Amino acid sequence: MGFLAAGLGAGIIAIGAGIGIGMIGKSAVESIARQPEAAGDIRGAMILTAAFIEGVALFGAIVCALLALNITV
Amino acid sequence: MSQALRLTAITILFLLVLNPVSLAADNAQEDEPVIDVIGKVVDHDYLELVGGAKLYLPRIFMVNGEWYLFANTQSAVDTGEFERAEEGLGLIRSDGETISLDMSITSHLMYVWFGLILTLFITLWASRKYKKGVGATTEPKGISQNLFEVFFVFIRDDIAKEYIPGDKHKKFVTYLFSVFMAISFMNLFGLLPWGVATTADLTVTATLAAITFFITQWNASKDHWEHVFMFPGVHPAMRIILTPVEILGLFTKPFALAVRLFANMLSGKIMIVCVLGLIFIFTDIFGPAVGLSSSIFWVGLTALLYILKAFIALLQAYIFTLLSAVFIGMAVEEHHHEHESKVAAATDVHV
Repeated sequence: MGFLAAGLGAGIIAIGAGIGIGMIGKSAVESIARQPEAAGDIRGAMILTAAFIEGVALFGAIVCALLALNITV
Repeated sequence: MSQALRLTAITILFLLVLNPVSLAADNAQEDEPVIDVIGKVVDHDYLELVGGAKLYLPRIFMVNGEWYLFANTQSAVDTGEFERAEEGLGLIRSDGETISLDMSITSHLMYVWFGLILTLFITLWASRKYKKGVGATTEPKGISQNLFEVFFVFIRDDIAKEYIPGDKHKKFVTYLFSVFMAISFMNLFGLLPWGVATTADLTVTATLAAITFFITQWNASKDHWEHVFMFPGVHPAMRIILTPVEILGLFTKPFALAVRLFANMLSGKIMIVCVLGLIFIFTDIFGPAVGLSSSIFWVGLTALLYILKAFIALLQAYIFTLLSAVFIGMAVEEHHHEHESKVAAATDVHV
């Protein structure tokens, strides 16, 4: 049961994080294409936002790992 | 001189390549081809040295105000006063008393010290150079000083000046730079064959985040606290809801900071062990021929993951520093009395 939950959870996390980071990448590339001179600033903001999403996704990933490895904290 | 260095480097590389092979041969003699994923991640009471040798670290305990010091875990057990716990590093007293304080030096702690010592060494070395005038009055000399300057200027201009308003950034550049260097080193140690990425331990990252938290709160301006407790421009009754939320927000920031770094480094480690473990799983299911031939693919993938890990190590140090700067900047910011008019307007509406 724990394995099933962990596997499903990891998949859902990947979907969520993928959508989120994809949207950031899309808008960042669009803005860079529109304003190439602001590429540096946009890249910084992009990494920062992606880090936030990554953080949330990794919270979930850790929970999945704990489920799968049967560790009681 | 440089030739000798190169020769040593190549010799070390050869040793590193040869050693896992002999270790694998040793392990093959045992019956269980189990890969201990968790064992690679958790804390140990020894340092793994080149060649798989183990250097056992001292254990320090306090039981009811009495201090016990042992050279290693085994000698503690040999005295008969302590017993090994069923799992983990813990020891328990034979006579049933609880250990009130466990100050044992573990492998993760050692690698934290290594990172800090390296940071201290580099910064002291650079500051001595600048005091002498090299770089301050003349151009910076040599590769190492230029490299140092690249990182320092990056932290100062792109992180501190950008996110901490006004002249206040000068106060925090030292902290931001040292935390960046220390986390970078701690992360990069995990790439060494017998090294440990100590930031894959939640206690280490939590300590780092706690330092950021205390620096942030200690230097917070009056306006910061006003926004936590008073909420200018908002109806007073709203404070019942908003104040707890804001107080919670103070603590979630460092919490997220700690868990982000921890989860990133931990997942990198687990990923590599899992991908390499696929070789053994394939051998188990499909036989040695498939396992052996598929290993070309998995080893290639591991090499790619390894490069990604090296990049992530620096990126996470950057993100930790950046977010620390953002949080400090948010707290030290002073609003230029724009609230009075807002408060007046708000009270007008509500009255």
